Amino acid sequence: MNYIMVIDDSPTIRTSVAFTVKDLGCEIKQAENGADALEKISAIRSEGNDVSLCIVDVNMPVMDGISFVKEFKKNDKFTPVLMLTTESEEDKIKEGKTAGAAGWMIKPFKPDNLKSVVEKLMV
Amino acid sequence: MIKYRDKNSGRNAYLLYPGEYFATKEDCFIISVTGVCMLVCLYETKLKFGGMCFVIVPGTFGTENIITSVLAGYGITQIELLLAEIVKAGGDRKNLTAKIFGAAYSNNGRSADELSESQIRFIKEYFTSERIPVLSSDLGGSHRRKIYFSPATGRVYKKILRNNNESSEFLKMEKEFIDDVFMNTGSGNFTLFERDTVNDF
Ligand SMILES: [Mg+2]
Repeated sequence: MNYIMVIDDSPTIRTSVAFTVKDLGCEIKQAENGADALEKISAIRSEGNDVSLCIVDVNMPVMDGISFVKEFKKNDKFTPVLMLTTESEEDKIKEGKTAGAAGWMIKPFKPDNLKSVVEKLMV
Repeated sequence: MIKYRDKNSGRNAYLLYPGEYFATKEDCFIISVTGVCMLVCLYETKLKFGGMCFVIVPGTFGTENIITSVLAGYGITQIELLLAEIVKAGGDRKNLTAKIFGAAYSNNGRSADELSESQIRFIKEYFTSERIPVLSSDLGGSHRRKIYFSPATGRVYKKILRNNNESSEFLKMEKEFIDDVFMNTGSGNFTLFERDTVNDF
């Protein structure tokens, strides 16, 4: 079983993103911050399943999205991470790229865009 | 936004213009005027600070709900920008309470209309979905409102503006902001980063 991780501190946005990517052949797992996501990802992997993609917000309490990517990428160079955020500053986007993100999408997302980017990243 | 010294309270006041958002830990007032738009005041109850933002959903979203409506996404993002500032300052949406004002009728204030009803439906669904308690709200109706928010205490003082000469500069700016949001510009942009092949076997 493969999972798409949807990581955002907003339950509304998590549900909305999960709804948008639900038919792409993966199970969806939601997490409310970076630390919560890392825990859930290791639980998924310890059960013999895997994560195909992470869709991650930047501004979250406990562990923000950039810190999450850095931590996640330490042990996993291959699974793509897509940032989905209100942040649009060039410096912030560079920071995400350096941390190892595969892409950066600015909220509000258009469902068709999100779907096609996710499909492209999961190939 | 402009900052000035409020003579009555002896504190700084920040006058928020349509489309803006602002959060601060300073003991001050955040002040603005709204007609058709809504003003959302968020208060972090643990850290005792807060902020205010303008919200408008660019249209009516019929039978959809806020999860599936693309229009609602614009409203959600306007609040997200404020929430991002609160989170950057150490806040957590689990500790937030909300107060909401505005969504006056847009048809020159005579009767309830679709846009006003749509704003109200949106904001109620949003805060239910976010599990953020709404402590007070004053929505709909035919008049504009001037809101004084104390981010240090979460208190709101409200003044009803019954005549259009008062704070009339806001009428024009609000209309410009609404037109901007209705044109739906600059959203959903994305970049996919180019990567060298990873060869670390
Ligand atoms: Mg966030």
